[in-house]
Amino acid sequence: MSIPMELYLPIAGNSINIVAVFGLGGVVGLLSGIFGVGGGFLMTPLLIMMGIPPTVAAASDSNQIVGASTSGTLAHLRLGNVDVKMGILLLVGGVVGGTAGVEIIKLLRAMGNADFLINVTYVLMLGLVGGYMFVESLQAMRKAKAPAKQEPERHVKSSAFGRLVGLLPWQMDFVRSGVRMSPLLPLVLGVLVGILSAIMGVGGGFIMVPVMVYLLRMPMHVVVGTSLFQILFTCINVTVMQASSNHTVDFVLALILLVGSSLGAQIGAILGRKLGGEQLKILLASLVLVVMFKILYELLATPNVLLAYIGGH
Amino acid sequence: MKRVLTLFLFLLLALPCASPAASLDFGMAPGVITISTFYNGTNVTVSGAVPDGAQVVVRFSGVPEKVAMKQKGKAFGLLWMNMNTLHFSGVPKVFLVESSAPLKDLGVAGPSIGLTGLMDKIGIEPDTADRSMLLPELVKLKKSEGLYREGNSAVTLGDKSGELRQFTAKMAIPSRLSPGSYALEVFAVKDGVILAQASQPLDAKMTGIPALMADLAFNHAVWYGILASVIAIMAGLGIGLVFQSKGAH
Repeated sequence: MSIPMELYLPIAGNSINIVAVFGLGGVVGLLSGIFGVGGGFLMTPLLIMMGIPPTVAAASDSNQIVGASTSGTLAHLRLGNVDVKMGILLLVGGVVGGTAGVEIIKLLRAMGNADFLINVTYVLMLGLVGGYMFVESLQAMRKAKAPAKQEPERHVKSSAFGRLVGLLPWQMDFVRSGVRMSPLLPLVLGVLVGILSAIMGVGGGFIMVPVMVYLLRMPMHVVVGTSLFQILFTCINVTVMQASSNHTVDFVLALILLVGSSLGAQIGAILGRKLGGEQLKILLASLVLVVMFKILYELLATPNVLLAYIGGH
Repeated sequence: MKRVLTLFLFLLLALPCASPAASLDFGMAPGVITISTFYNGTNVTVSGAVPDGAQVVVRFSGVPEKVAMKQKGKAFGLLWMNMNTLHFSGVPKVFLVESSAPLKDLGVAGPSIGLTGLMDKIGIEPDTADRSMLLPELVKLKKSEGLYREGNSAVTLGDKSGELRQFTAKMAIPSRLSPGSYALEVFAVKDGVILAQASQPLDAKMTGIPALMADLAFNHAVWYGILASVIAIMAGLGIGLVFQSKGAH
C-alpha cells in the first residue's frame, strides 16, 4: 500500500505533489526569514509553473504568507527585532496606499494595458532598488575592510532630504530602531509603498525593506522583523478580500506551503542573525536583480504561446 | 429524425444498457468521475462494438463555452505585451480524442471529429482576427495544460464477432478537471464516412473534503477567507512556539 503523494486542490482545480509544494514552501520561507520579505515575487511564478492558475497562485500565496509571517514575526519579536510603533505607522499608510493603488489599477485596466505597465514598473523598481542596494553594500563592505573607519559619515548624509525630515512636526523617538523622526514620514512612505505594491500585486516587502534601511535609517535586523510584522497584516487583508470577491484562495494549497515555509522562516531568522547586515543587503540585492532580469527577459523574448487568459495578474 | 430522438432519449434514460436499435453500442466505467481528496486524473474504460472494418474514434469533451483572451504582440517593436482582447466562442474546457488509427488516415471524417473540426467551429470576435494564426495558438495553450489532446494509442480493436468488431479504449482524464457535465462519444469511421456514432453524458463530481471546501469557498466566501487567515495564524504561532521551546534549552 502506497501513501498518496498527489492531492487534489478544489479551488485551483488541479492536483499537486505534496512533497514538491512542501519543499517549495520551505525554500521560500527560508528566504523570507532571512530577508523579511514575503517571498511572493518568487513563490507565485513557481506555483504557476506547477500548473496552478495565476490568480489562485497569487491569492493562496497571500494566505500562506499570513502563517509564515506570523511565525517569522514571533521569532523576531523574541529577538527584539520588531519596532511595533514604526510597524503600525507603516501599516496604516500601507492600507491607505493599497486601497488607492487598487483604484489606480482599475483605472489602468479600463484604459487598456495594465499588465504591461505592471511589468515595466517591476523592472524599473527592482532594477533601481536592487542596483542601488548592491552598489551601496559593496562600497560599505570595501570601507569596512579599510583599517581606519571614517566617523563623519553621519554628517555627510544630512542632505536636503535629511533637513526636510528634521523640519516635520511631532518629532518622536523610536526606541527599538534608535531613530528620532516625525510619525508623518513613515506614514507617507507607507502610503507610497502601499500604492506600488497594490499595482505590482505583491506584499511589498522588497520595496519596504530598502525604504526602511535607506529612508528611515533603521538598523537592518529591526527592519526585517518590522517588515514581517507589517506584511502579516497586509496579507490578512488581501486573503479575506481575494476569498470574498474572487474565490481564488486555495486553503489546502496554502496550508501545505505554510507548514513548509514556517519551518523555513524559523531557520531563516536564526541564519539571518548570523550573517552581517551588509551581507544580508547584498544577498537581497542580488535576489531582487535576478527577479528583475527574469521579468525583463519575459518582456523581450518571444512568448511560447501568443495568447493569455484574462485575469492572470 | 424521430428515430434519432427516440434513440437519444433512450440513451439518456438507460445509460449503461445497450441499445439494440443503434449500430454502435458502448459501455464505460466508471459512469461518473469522482473528484476526491487524492484525485490525480483517472482512466475511463470504454468498450463496445463497431461495424467490422471501421476504425474507432473516442472523444471526451466539455460543453462549448465563451472565453475571453488577450493576444500578445510587440509594442514599439521591442517589448512583448498583452494587446487586444479576443472573444472566442465554442471553446470546450476539455477536448480529448483517441482513435484506433491516426485521424488524418481516416479520410474526410477523421480530422472533422478531432481538433481540426473543433477549430472550424470556434468563433472569434472581432471578425477581423487572424483565425489561421490564433486558433492553433489556442489549441497549443490548451494542449500545454493537458486539456486538449489527439492520440492514437489508447484504442485497441479486438475480436470480430459476426458483422461487428469489439474495441476497448482507455481514456486518460487529466488532473486539471473542473466538476461539471462532459460527454463521451464514440464514432465508427470507414472510408472517410462516419458509419455510426453514439454519445453518453459523463459527469465529474467533487466528493468528500474537496466538495466541502468548494462549497465553503463559493457560498460562504467571507467566512472562508477569515477562517483561512485564522488557521494560518494559528499554524504559524504553533510552529513558532515549537521553535521557542527548543530555543529555550
